[in-house]
Amino acid sequence: MTVSNAKSIFSAGVEENIDALYSVALRLTRRDADAEDLVAETVAKAWGAIGTLNECDRFRPWLFRILHNTFISDFRKKSVRPDEASYSAGECEDDDLVTLLNEQSDDFLVWWSNPEREFFNDLLGEQLLAALDEIPEAFRTVVLLVSVEGFTYDETAEVLGIAPGTVRSRMKRGRTLLQKALWAQRPAADRNTT
Amino acid sequence: MKNDIGCLEAIEAFYAYLDGELEEPGSIADFEHHLEHCRSCFTRIELERMLNERMRRTARKESPQALRERVGQLLQHFGDDSNG
Repeated sequence: MTVSNAKSIFSAGVEENIDALYSVALRLTRRDADAEDLVAETVAKAWGAIGTLNECDRFRPWLFRILHNTFISDFRKKSVRPDEASYSAGECEDDDLVTLLNEQSDDFLVWWSNPEREFFNDLLGEQLLAALDEIPEAFRTVVLLVSVEGFTYDETAEVLGIAPGTVRSRMKRGRTLLQKALWAQRPAADRNTT
Repeated sequence: MKNDIGCLEAIEAFYAYLDGELEEPGSIADFEHHLEHCRSCFTRIELERMLNERMRRTARKESPQALRERVGQLLQHFGDDSNG
């Protein structure tokens, strides 16, 4: 591949993914300025590592892997809360976990499915982001990559350098934590009725 | 041919189905057959799907103009060393 070809493929790939890179970076760092720095640094590092991109159709997972590695090496220290320290990668292999919706929480189901509740309104958008930001990073990242960015479990495993089975169990755990965070945020008026 | 599966078996496949990771056509058909007959599982998966969709729309942000310009400038200068 000539430099000109590489540059053209690289530029197109970056431009195509810039919103996705920024969205993931924002939820990882939780700060606009840090997210922008993370994306810019990722792009610079990725160009420097263009020789490690073996197949052009793997561009997206390759680019996000660099984003994730850059976050870990240069940004994580600033964004990790003390309560997240207890979640190590080895602690989420519990395959028996089911999410709140699936563990027959009828109160939750009734509350959530009530059309008058306007659960899916603008306010919830903020609640949802707050709940997402509460999830420890190991689970948040997997939920973001799979549910928001549409990566497959295999691609997510490639991005994070973990086994696909771990992606699967982290998705379950991440969903459970997200739903519990939303459940905890429900308005006080709703709590009195359940 | 579709097999009748119970809720426990359906729950096993629940998230793989939701995330498009249930690959075998037979498994997909069995799962969807179960959803057609089980209101509880159908409701749960619809709510999970709505939450996913809502999360996708909420967490996906447009990158700021300043960032696009910053990255654009980086891209412009990449390869300069090799060319020059």
